[in-house]
Amino acid sequence: MPSPKLPIDSARHAKPPVSPLVEATVDLVREAVRQRFAESGMTWDEFVFAGSDRLVTTEDMRAVEARILASGHRFDWSAGISVAERPEVYKSAGGVADDGAGFAHPDAPTGEADAQGRALRGAGDNVVRHKQDVSGTALYIRSNDRVLDLLSNGVPPGTIAIIDDSGGTLTAPIIDQFTGVICAGGTVRSHLGILTREYNIPCLMNAKVTGIREGDRVLIEATADAKTTEDYQQGVERTAKVWVLAEAAA
Amino acid sequence: MNRRDRVLHAAAIKRHAPPAAIAALAGVPLAEAQAELDAAVATGRAIEARGAYALTPLAGVALQARYAHQFADLRDDAGFRGAYDGFERINTTLKQIVTDWQTLDVGGKKVANDHSDKAHDEGVIDRLGGLHEQAEPILAKLAQGLPRLKYYGDKLLSALESAEDGDHDWVSDIRRDSYHTVWFELHEELLRIMGREREE
Repeated sequence: MPSPKLPIDSARHAKPPVSPLVEATVDLVREAVRQRFAESGMTWDEFVFAGSDRLVTTEDMRAVEARILASGHRFDWSAGISVAERPEVYKSAGGVADDGAGFAHPDAPTGEADAQGRALRGAGDNVVRHKQDVSGTALYIRSNDRVLDLLSNGVPPGTIAIIDDSGGTLTAPIIDQFTGVICAGGTVRSHLGILTREYNIPCLMNAKVTGIREGDRVLIEATADAKTTEDYQQGVERTAKVWVLAEAAA
Repeated sequence: MNRRDRVLHAAAIKRHAPPAAIAALAGVPLAEAQAELDAAVATGRAIEARGAYALTPLAGVALQARYAHQFADLRDDAGFRGAYDGFERINTTLKQIVTDWQTLDVGGKKVANDHSDKAHDEGVIDRLGGLHEQAEPILAKLAQGLPRLKYYGDKLLSALESAEDGDHDWVSDIRRDSYHTVWFELHEELLRIMGREREE
């Protein structure tokens, strides 16, 4: 469907809004209105005076908010009651805090600590076989804000990133600073697999893990055989294990 | 797209890049791109870290919201859509080729390619050359729809030629405009133009 012109499109010399939140909101609303207008088949005047109340819906506006939240943005608040009522949309009252909720895959293999103190917490597809296993501190990276923070302040040495971003969309700018990567999606041929091999960083794809908390010391079985294209085609299970060596201080 | 959006769009594709790389992709003179990036940082739309710029989440959302209108004609253009589908088809092959470039079969196990097996390496680069031949008509059609996209075709050809001349870092090195780096950026560009999400 061709994209209709709105009167606002002719305001060529209007500067963008000062606030990025206002700009995002305005552009998302405009996108929704443009779509509803195109679908209506009305003239602009008809749409404005007889259609828009009905055709641009509450759901459309909820979707605007959802897109903003999906980016990782959280709104500022002026009264504590706001955070109490909708904690998921506002900045945390206690400052920037991760919710700490880790992945909990129902099919993750688990076990009690073995003789070496290694408690099995999952497994994944090894992108390439390394000479040694690798250990480090678990850090969940799931939001853009966190990536920006790590970009500015650096990734702490010895970080094992736990992510679900198999395209490397979120983490590409900081990937070279990881000691290891555990990714909940994708395959060894995913873009993230390619990136980590290029940097020689141990990485498990398609990982099923559970019970790993941020700050836990984890060990990746990077010496396990790599999963191959043939394995995927023939449905061969070939995985590398993930253990927790020591839990984060509570 | 106006100049501001071209710079923000290029920064989004590059993710975290120095101004010169963003300016080159945007097709905007460096000083102008730098001014746009400075303004973006000053108003919370980008951050600068280690001399490289990345968009903030809200700036990314606003940019994405404008795509549907800005790229409506391309999304509607059957020729361009066909070229995009063609790109997606050979993208799978490209990822396999790069994976094969990075790994070596030793006793049935996939280990990191130490590039000691010249025959293996040459075989992979030959396949990359073959893939590029398939890509050329697709790249031409894409640039026909949006002339700015010629940037990618030129960069891919230059990386391929360097790799074929024996400088193998041009296959997939992340710190340069290697074949894989440029391919990945083109994929990102096309996903944004078409309003699609990356699968993996």
